[in-house]
Order: sequence, then C-alpha cells, then structure tokens
Amino acid sequence: MTDAVWVPPTWDEVVREHADRVYRLAYRLSGNRADAEDLTQETFVRVFKSLAEYTPGTFEGWLHRITTNLFLDMVRRRQRIRFDALPDDAGDRLASYTATPEQAYAERNLDPEVQDALDALPADFRAAVVLCDLEGLSYEEIAATLGIKVGTVRSRIHRGRVLLREALAHRAPGVRPSEPGVAAEAVL
Amino acid sequence: MNLPVQHLSDEALAAFADGALTDGARARAARHVAECAECAHAVAVQREAVWALRAAPVPALPGDLLERLRAVPSTTPLNGQPIAIDSDGSAVFPAFGTAAFAEPSDDRAEMSQRRGRPYGLLTAAAAVIALGAVGGAVAGTSDAGSGAPFAPATPPVQVQPGGGSTADLIVQPASATSIFARTVR
Repeated sequence: MTDAVWVPPTWDEVVREHADRVYRLAYRLSGNRADAEDLTQETFVRVFKSLAEYTPGTFEGWLHRITTNLFLDMVRRRQRIRFDALPDDAGDRLASYTATPEQAYAERNLDPEVQDALDALPADFRAAVVLCDLEGLSYEEIAATLGIKVGTVRSRIHRGRVLLREALAHRAPGVRPSEPGVAAEAVL
Repeated sequence: MNLPVQHLSDEALAAFADGALTDGARARAARHVAECAECAHAVAVQREAVWALRAAPVPALPGDLLERLRAVPSTTPLNGQPIAIDSDGSAVFPAFGTAAFAEPSDDRAEMSQRRGRPYGLLTAAAAVIALGAVGGAVAGTSDAGSGAPFAPATPPVQVQPGGGSTADLIVQPASATSIFARTVR
C-alpha cells in the first residue's frame, strides 16, 4: 500500500462510525434490547462477511437494508413458529430474555408509550415508519430497502402513523400542533 | 399526480405531511387542506405521529455490545478470505472492492507502523481460545454458510494483548447470534 492508495477503514473504525445508528434502528424495529443486540450483531457479521461486495458510498444504505431485512425475517420466523408450534405466544419474546435491573432501567429511559405503540404496528408498517420518521430515509430509499413500490411505502407510512397516533391519543396536548393548517406549511 | 376530487388519498396525505409532493401537487393539496377539516386533521395526525416518534429518546448502544462488534473479525469465519487483525485488536480489511492484501503479513506490519504501535503479542492461550470460539460460531451459524469449512490456519489471527479480556469478548457472540442460525444465508 502506498499513500496514493485509498486506505480502507479498519473494522474498528467501521464499528465506531456505524454501531450507534444500526443499534438505534434495530431497537426501534424490534422494541427491546435483546433483539436489538442480536440484530445489530448479526448485521455486522453480515457486513464483515460481505466486505468484498462493498463499494464506497453505499455503506449506510447497505446497513439499513441488512438490519431491516434481518428484522423482518425474524418477525416472520416467529410468526411461523407461533402459528405452527406454540399453543400461545406467552413468553415468546421473553423466553430467552430476562431483564436485569440495569437493562430494565435502560429500557425505561426510552419513552415506553411510544415504543409500545411502535411495537403494536404490523412489522411491515413499523419498518416503513421507522425508516422514514426516525432514520430520515426518502420514500425511494425505503422502497429500495424493503423491495416494494413507492406507493406502497407511502400507504404503509400513512397507515402506520394513523395507528401510532391512535395508540397515543391520550398524549394529544404534547404533540398536537396549535393550528394544523398553518403548521402544514411551516413544518417539515 | 391526480389527487382525488373529494379528499387526499392516504398516500398523498403522508407525502403532503412530509413535504414530499412535487410543487403542483403540493399546491393543490394545500388548497384542499385549507378548506377541508377532515383532511387537515388527517395531515395533523400524520405529523403528530412523527413528532411523537422523534421526541422519544434515542436508545444508547450498550458498551458490551460495542465490544462484541469490535470482536466480530475474530469470531466470524470468512471462508478462506484473508484477514489481518491489528495490534490493537482491530481488523484490517482484506478488500474493499479495490486492492486486496496480497501479502497480509507485510500489510499488517505496515499498518502497525502507521499506527506507531508495537505489534501485539499472540499468546498461546489466547490463540486457542480464539480458535475455539470461532469453531463455536461456525457450529452456531453455519447451516448457512457456503458450506466451505472454516480453516483456522488460513487467516493470520492476531489477538490483542491481555488474553483474559479478549477471551470474554470472543466467547460472547457465538451464543448471542445463535437465534439467527436459520436465517444466515
């Protein structure tokens, strides 16, 4: 290697730069720390295994795609398991996870109502809403990430937000704009 | 874009709330929203949901997870792809679509020099633990893999000094990833 050659980042640099974002996305999607950690870990394992396919400039989109699809795979697999084998879903998510006091505290630091409302969304809607509203992806980027049409992205985002808002109806004073017609032009 | 005559479509509501409509469609939607309480409310619902989400605190990355992510190179089989690990435990990429490390040992030496640090010691105990852990990772995750068995001798694994903590870091991920055993492709 010479100075003229682009020096690839070290693994440590990749982890430092992207771990927070991946974990945040994984947490928003999965709604709990244990799954978020597993999703994050598996995302980085996939990244590490596929480094040869990486082309500079697409890293974040790549990470979004891997994380989101791992999440959707996880949800579908659990739905199959629940449908096929389990008499009920009690303990489905908690079976392998008991929060320590420290973990419980960390999770309470999230807004539990918002996360619960998010968790209640169908996974496909949740993914679209999280990618749009928390990760700031464009509709086109979300469509590419999820492998669906832009129109479907929009309708899932719309429906997901409606359900979220209904779940948070009692919080109206904190989030309602004073004048929707005015806010419509001023915000976003 | 043809907007419905009576009210904004669901798709248009989301796009209008996000400011994602093109100019003409946005102007038509704005005119309608200004006159239609129902659609104005629907737009407000969209935005309130967004604000509620964005107001929620960001979950912090657990410190032990960060350490496990840093250890991924030493716990992940690469099917013969050469990988070098620097003296501080960080991995040096073998390839990024550009130049592969034809001679990993030279590159590792150069990387070590670049960072101005002495090369890390590879203790026998740490090496055994690392390889054992990699074997475990293979057992846990590789029904997927390409089928190529992991050859521990191929990658020049260099472990950072301090065998005890390294062993802890390496052993954790195998179990942590086990729930994905059937999804790895």
